[in-house]
Order: sequence, then C-alpha cells, then structure tokens
Amino acid sequence: MREVLAVVYREYLIRRTSPTWLFFDLAVPLLYLLMFGVAFDKALGHGLRIGEATVPYNAFFLGGVLSMSSFGSAMNQSYGFFVDRDNGIFYEFLTYPMTRGQFLLGKILFQCAMAVIQCMLTIAAGTLLLEINIRWELLLFALIGMMIGTAGWFFFLAIVAFRIRRNDTFNTVINVAYFVLMFLSSMFYPLDQVPSWLRAISRMNPLTWQTDALRFLTIGLGTFSTFLLEALGFGAFLLLSFWFAVRTLQKAL
Amino acid sequence: MKNEKEIVRLTLTQHFFIHNFIQFATHVLDPAIEVHDLVRTFQKRHHEPVRAVDGVSFEVRRGEIFGLLGPNGAGKTTTIKILTTLLAPTSGTARILGHDVVADPLGVRRQICVVVQENAVELYLSVRNNFRTFGRFHGMTSKEIEERTNRVTELFGLREYLNEKGLDLSGGLKRRVQVAKTFMIDKPIVFLDEATTGMDAFNKRATIEAIKENARKGRTIVLTTHILDEAEELCDAVAIVNRGRIIAGGSVEDVKSMSLRLLYLTLSLKTVSEEVLRTIQEREPLHVDIKNNTIEVTVREATAALDVLTAVKQTGSLEHFEISSASLEDVFLQLIDKKASID
Repeated sequence: MREVLAVVYREYLIRRTSPTWLFFDLAVPLLYLLMFGVAFDKALGHGLRIGEATVPYNAFFLGGVLSMSSFGSAMNQSYGFFVDRDNGIFYEFLTYPMTRGQFLLGKILFQCAMAVIQCMLTIAAGTLLLEINIRWELLLFALIGMMIGTAGWFFFLAIVAFRIRRNDTFNTVINVAYFVLMFLSSMFYPLDQVPSWLRAISRMNPLTWQTDALRFLTIGLGTFSTFLLEALGFGAFLLLSFWFAVRTLQKAL
Repeated sequence: MKNEKEIVRLTLTQHFFIHNFIQFATHVLDPAIEVHDLVRTFQKRHHEPVRAVDGVSFEVRRGEIFGLLGPNGAGKTTTIKILTTLLAPTSGTARILGHDVVADPLGVRRQICVVVQENAVELYLSVRNNFRTFGRFHGMTSKEIEERTNRVTELFGLREYLNEKGLDLSGGLKRRVQVAKTFMIDKPIVFLDEATTGMDAFNKRATIEAIKENARKGRTIVLTTHILDEAEELCDAVAIVNRGRIIAGGSVEDVKSMSLRLLYLTLSLKTVSEEVLRTIQEREPLHVDIKNNTIEVTVREATAALDVLTAVKQTGSLEHFEISSASLEDVFLQLIDKKASID
C-alpha cells in the first residue's frame, strides 16, 4: 500500500502545480452538461420517450457526461506516460521497489479521487441549475461507478500508450477511438431509437455499459437486471484491461 | 565424567561458532551480482535480429566498484537495463544478491537504486519535491527525507536550487539532482549508467568522491562510463564490452596487463640529432613520435625501455625523461581496435 500511496502523492504534487489543469479536469464535464445538455434539452422540447417514460434530455445526458468525463480523465492520465517517458523519469520509476501493478494502481487512484469530485460537482450543478431529479440513495454507488469507469478506461488506454512510442500517434489514435466509441454508445441518444446494426454494435461497447450503469445510478433509468449485467461486463473489462496493461508494461521498453 | 561434559560443551560451542562463521563467510563471499550467458536480442520488423547482448557472463563481488566499459552501442546500457529489471533477457540468467531478475524482479528492485542513462527529473516539481517523492518511493519517513535531503544537497551543491523547478534547471543540474537522489538511500547495490555525463568538473569530483565513500561503506557499485580515467580511478574490476560481448575483464591491473606490457618513454633532449634518432631506431621501438625537443618512444617490456634510455643517455643530449605504463584508455583503444580489425 505504501508504494501505491507514494505514486498517489507524486501525482498530487504534480497536479497541484497546475491550477489550469485542475480547473479543466473538474469543470469541463460541468460545462458540457450546462452547454450541450441545455441546448439539446431546448431543441428536443418535450424530452426523450424511452419505453413508457419521458425523460428530459438534461437528465438523460447526465450519465453520458459522467462517463465522458471519466474517459477524458483516463485519457489525460494515460497521456502522462508520454510526458514521463520524455522526461526520462518513467524508466527510473520502473526501477523503484514496487510492482508494475502497484505503479498503475497509484497512477489511477489519484485520478479516481478527481473523478469523484467531478461527479459531485456535475450532479450538484445538474440538481441546482437544471433541476434534474437525482436518486440520492444511490449516490455512493454512482461515485464508485465513476471510479471504476475511470480506472477501466485508464488501464485500457495505458495498454495503447505503452505500445505506441510517439505521442502524436497516440493522440490521433485515441481521439479517433474516442470519437467512434462515443457515437457508438448510448452517451448522446437512447439506443432503442437507432438502427438495429448501430444498436447491436453499441451494445458491445464498454462505454455504453458504463453510461447505462451511471444513468441507472443517478436518475434511475433502466432496469436493475440490465444494470447488473452491464456493471459485470464493465468489471470484466476493467480486470482484463488491468491484467493486460501490467503485462504490456512489463515488456514496454 | 566432568571433563567429558566440558569437552562436549566445548565441542558444541566450537561447532556453533564454526557453523555461524561458515554461514557468514559464505554470505560475504557470495557475489553481489552473477550474470551468466546473458543474451538480449532485438527484432525489428523486416530486419535481421540484433544481438545487443551476446552471451555476457561476469560476477561482481560485494563492496566492489565494477565498471562496464565500451564504445557506444556496445551493449552496456542493455546489460544494465536487464540487471535493473527494465528489460527481460532473451536467454541466460542474472541474479542480484540472490534474486533472479526474471523470477523475482521486485526482490531485485528492493536491493538496488539506479541512475538511468536518461535525465530523470520531475520537471514540474521543485528540487525539494523531487527528493521528497523519491524518498517516499523508497519508504523513508518525512524526517529521514529532510535529513538526507540536507546531506545530499550539501554534498552536490544543490542548496540554492531547492525551490527551483526541474523545468528551470540546466542539463548538468538535472543530472546532479538525479545522482544526488541515489545517494539519499542506502540500497546495497547502486547502478550508475553514465552518471557523470554533462556534469562540470566540480560535480564530477563530488560524484566520484560519493561513489568512493559509498563503496567504502560496503555498497556494491556498477557503473558504465566512456571516461576511462574515471573508471581507472574508481573501479576495482572492469569488463570491456564490444558488440554485445565481453572482450576483456578482471581487475583494472589485469586488464592493463593485456596491453602486452607497453611502456611509454618521454625523452626531453637538448637537440633532436640524427645520432639520437638512429640510436633509438636501432632498438626497434614500436612507435616513435617527435615533438620539438621531445621524443615519445613506445616499447614493450622494461628491459627495452632501459636499453633505449641508456643508449640515449650515452649520446649526451638527454636532459630529462619520464616512463609511464599503458593507461586503461590505451588498453581499451587497443582492444576495441584489434576486435574491429578481426571482425
């Protein structure tokens, strides 16, 4: 545990040096919700018809914004590997008395804490400014969901970061992947209203699983059985990504 | 009966001491680093595989300063990367204080600290916070970190830079911070990959003194360097690596003796006359170099040196002379050159 906390401490010290970075990390999802969500809410007027229920777009989009912010946090954090590699410190880290797994866990633990703060700020803004009805009794699980989501995406992106040597290539690959994953998921629109081929692909996307789970935990949309299935699916994605990231890091040089 | 008991007790006591002594001696005599037939191959797509390390074997005794010397691309850094668990070997074995680098990498990392070849400084953190994070990673308490930071900043002249960010330091200062960090902790084995690169003379000296002091305390130090004077001053043993293979190894004296006992005579003369030159040439030296009134003569064996010296003295023009044996650098260049001509 000491080793993991040492990495967390290092991440904290670095993040503390850049208030701009800190601001963007915390405020960007909030801005997305307030600008993008509000605009679509007005455009759609009477809300979205999902099954028997009608849901305001703002409320529907909240889960999407949360999973978007955890993906964004994971992207930032995985990009940090390139900064560390350019500084040479990455190689020194790998000679420190800790396992590769402890190193990765430490890297993401701090970002998970950030994700929790992001989540609370976004939910607070959604409640106070957009009058979204939140299932407060599930808030703790929503926060846990944010942490699991951020960690899962971080481990997944770390695999890519360790395999790609150039940061410009990494940026391109990740931005394209993000774009595709976002629009092939339930982040912006309900899947029961899209063409069946798109729905089939989107159902296989871990971003859909995370978004649906967060939507269930924040506004109670969806069924418990679907939530459970998708949460288990994302859990498996996280574990597999972690295992593979550690394996890749062991051969990363 | 009483005597028998005393004898038994004495025998047991002796046995106890002998047993412990053997255990202690075995522990002390066990090499700190054992490398056996190490191979590392790199395979790039559409290219032939390259054997960066090609069957390297050596041992480093505890408390020894061991130098891995060789030209660029010889395989020194790849060897260090394998020993510090940054890279897995393709085949062969390496053990650090009994821990296998492949089977027990964490065990290895608990015994070592490393100055990697790259400048490794946290650019966004102050020098003080660089020391803090490093100390935390190595399990030090805040008090210990504070004490040791004071010690190493004094040693490496970093006090005035404590609040500067890594980003604002020059290349040499970054290297200084990186090396200073290593001397904050007491790991039994230290790896220094080109540690003094980019340092000015003052800090190079401080680093060399710190290495010597740590070796005296019983730490085992493995270093790579291009600066052979530095290796000659510091190392108890060296291995000269070229194209992934060790081409010479042993104590510095052993390696120097591979120069085939070359001796360098520097003769300062009143004038360089034809007679003096003929006298020298008659003795068939290996090499003669004339600079103004000084002649440098390379001979093999002390008797040849004495012969030249006596003959030149008899010409009456000798004012002053110096004799020196081959330096590690001479041997290094000779070996690398010989290897290149064989290849």
